Amino acid sequence: MKGISKRVTVGFMSIVALLFVSGMISLFELRTLSNDTESILAASRSDMSYAKDMLRYAHDHNHAMMRRTLFGEEAAAKECRQAVDAMEVATAAVRRDIPRGVEECLDTLSLYIAELRALSEERLNSKPAFVKRAHPNLLPTLESDSVQVDAAPQPSAEQLSASIWYEQDYEVAYRRLTDQVERYMTLSHGSLAPRAEQLNKNAYRSITPVFISLLVMIAIVLMLYFFVLVYGVRPIVRINRSLSDYLAFKLPFKVKAELIDELRELSDNIENLVNISKTNKNE
Amino acid sequence: MRVSVILRYIGTVMLCVAAFMAVSAVISFIGRDSGFYPLLLSSLLTMLLGLFPMIFVPKTTGISTKEGFAIVVGSWLLSCVVGMFPYLMWGGEFSLVNAWFESVSGFTTTGASILTNIEELPQGLLFWRSATCWMGGVGVVMFALLVLPSLGTNKMALSSIELSTLAKDNFRYRTQMTVRILLVVYVGLTLITTLLLKVAGMRWFDAVNHAMSACSTGGFSTKNASIGFYDSPLIEAILIVAMFLSSVHFGIIYATFTRKANNLFRSEVVRIYVAITVVVSLMIAASLYAANIYPDALSSLRHSLFQTVSLISTTGFATANTNLWTPLAVVLLINVSIICACAGSTSGGLKVDRVLLFGKVFIARIKQQQHPNAVLRIRVDGVLQESTQLHAAMLFVALYFILIMLATVSNTMFGQDLLTAFSQAVACLGNVGPGFGAVGSESNFATQSVVVKLQDTVLMLMGRLEIFGFIQFLFIKWWR
Repeated sequence: MKGISKRVTVGFMSIVALLFVSGMISLFELRTLSNDTESILAASRSDMSYAKDMLRYAHDHNHAMMRRTLFGEEAAAKECRQAVDAMEVATAAVRRDIPRGVEECLDTLSLYIAELRALSEERLNSKPAFVKRAHPNLLPTLESDSVQVDAAPQPSAEQLSASIWYEQDYEVAYRRLTDQVERYMTLSHGSLAPRAEQLNKNAYRSITPVFISLLVMIAIVLMLYFFVLVYGVRPIVRINRSLSDYLAFKLPFKVKAELIDELRELSDNIENLVNISKTNKNE
Repeated sequence: MRVSVILRYIGTVMLCVAAFMAVSAVISFIGRDSGFYPLLLSSLLTMLLGLFPMIFVPKTTGISTKEGFAIVVGSWLLSCVVGMFPYLMWGGEFSLVNAWFESVSGFTTTGASILTNIEELPQGLLFWRSATCWMGGVGVVMFALLVLPSLGTNKMALSSIELSTLAKDNFRYRTQMTVRILLVVYVGLTLITTLLLKVAGMRWFDAVNHAMSACSTGGFSTKNASIGFYDSPLIEAILIVAMFLSSVHFGIIYATFTRKANNLFRSEVVRIYVAITVVVSLMIAASLYAANIYPDALSSLRHSLFQTVSLISTTGFATANTNLWTPLAVVLLINVSIICACAGSTSGGLKVDRVLLFGKVFIARIKQQQHPNAVLRIRVDGVLQESTQLHAAMLFVALYFILIMLATVSNTMFGQDLLTAFSQAVACLGNVGPGFGAVGSESNFATQSVVVKLQDTVLMLMGRLEIFGFIQFLFIKWWR
């Protein structure tokens, strides 16, 4: 490469290119980091939302089952089936983006849903225990005290059997299911820890390239300063000093500096000029 | 001293380093692993650092010795600095100190690692680790001389500084020829080892990495269990030969193949080197067999020979946990880690040449006392040793032990047991890699404190630059 202006231009262009590259890197890395954070937050949000939905469906199922079994509401059977279907749909949706370590929990949850479905289907397919009552608060319980027993109508054998089924069979399955949903919530929340750790690593990784690029850029700027000083500024200062010395004290024109390109030509030209002037004077 | 000229030639070395980073990036790209981006970016930054001085500084003929020293030491230091870029950018276990440690360990062919799980590293970074060893094995500046023909007459100035005085003895050729011999022997050895390892059952990638590591006597493996992972006598046999040949003077290997007089079978240094290796291996094998560590004599000999060659050649590959070996075996292995291999090879350490000189000077001294007027001359492999050379060798031996002692004291100050502290100092100064105790063949340097790690890197650099080179650089400002 020749020409001091070309050298300086290329030097500056290198710095500009490096600046541009480090800017691009920071943008790229920040975007990656932002996407990672977003995906972790989204995963967390969707996990919680699915778990909440599942708990709601389980509650709906419980409510509908109670109405169907204990109050004999025919319409509640449909709601029961809809709630179990919704629970299955929610479990299948969770499985699509399953976090590590939660697979077994979801398998158990599916099993409990299937059990609940089988249990409730068996009951739904049988004849309702009673006709619809006026007020659900008048529901007889096994533990009711003697005063209430006296006040309320005596429950039939079918009523008693429905109550026993609800308490001994259904409620156990229902509790097991809701406990499992809560367990899933805890586990999916726990699975966020390694992802957050990964995020921490990603943050480190996103800063390091920019930091290293900046360090390299500082080194290059310092080198540019040094080279401009050595090959640009210092020769001009020395040429000027030497020329001044010649003009003032008639000292021989000699430049002690590293001269390249136009500055070498300038020095040589001045030297020739000095020689010509000396020759002219002698003549 | 012309700083701009120094920067230009260090830049040339940086271009070589950048080229290897680019090759590692290509490997990462092919393997579609997470190392591609850090390697590519590091390669671009290193290339820019290397190219920038060339924009301004014109080609220069004639480099002074002082400038040569600055170029050589500066190249080593800067190679280690840019060498840690890919590690730092990749992250994982690499903190700033860990990345510096791994980079210095690679370039100085020490082979000590801070990684607890090497197999977790992407292929590109694994290749980069091996590449640092391979470049460092022959010397980063010599490497630049090997691949860049444009350095002209400056080759002589640089190669004479990069090669130790002892190493130069067996290169009785012009600089250009010496550089060519290095290239032929080094690349030839690596290629042959790669092919043999592949035939023995390694994957191509592992074969290339282990060949580069063995021929540079670095010792970086792609497996957590090092060579023990393969549990193959054939692979171990191939590596024993590769490590052994790489730790012999390259000039002598070349002379053997070109049927010159000073060949492998005639060299005094090589004969002593072989004798030490054989005797130590047999003693260790006997001790292991007697202690019932291995079921039969053959397994004892197999493991003892591999570990002895691995440590004496300063490679540092492992097939067994040497911490479980007998005290005699441990002491013998520490001793061979101090002596190390021959000058003019890729190995580090005290070197058999100096041990031989030390012995000859000792005998000469006794003879001189018996015959005060006798004129005694000391020759090694037929080459007359000047008194300045003898002086330097003796001083080197003394300085070597002083440094080991100082480093041991320093290590114990950080709570290490004596075995770990001493063997770590020996392993780092000799560029061996594994020591004993907490830094044994199946352990790593991850648990060491930051100060100890930094101290180890200084020892590695001192060992690689043969102590004086490093010290000279520190006082270069006052050097007239």
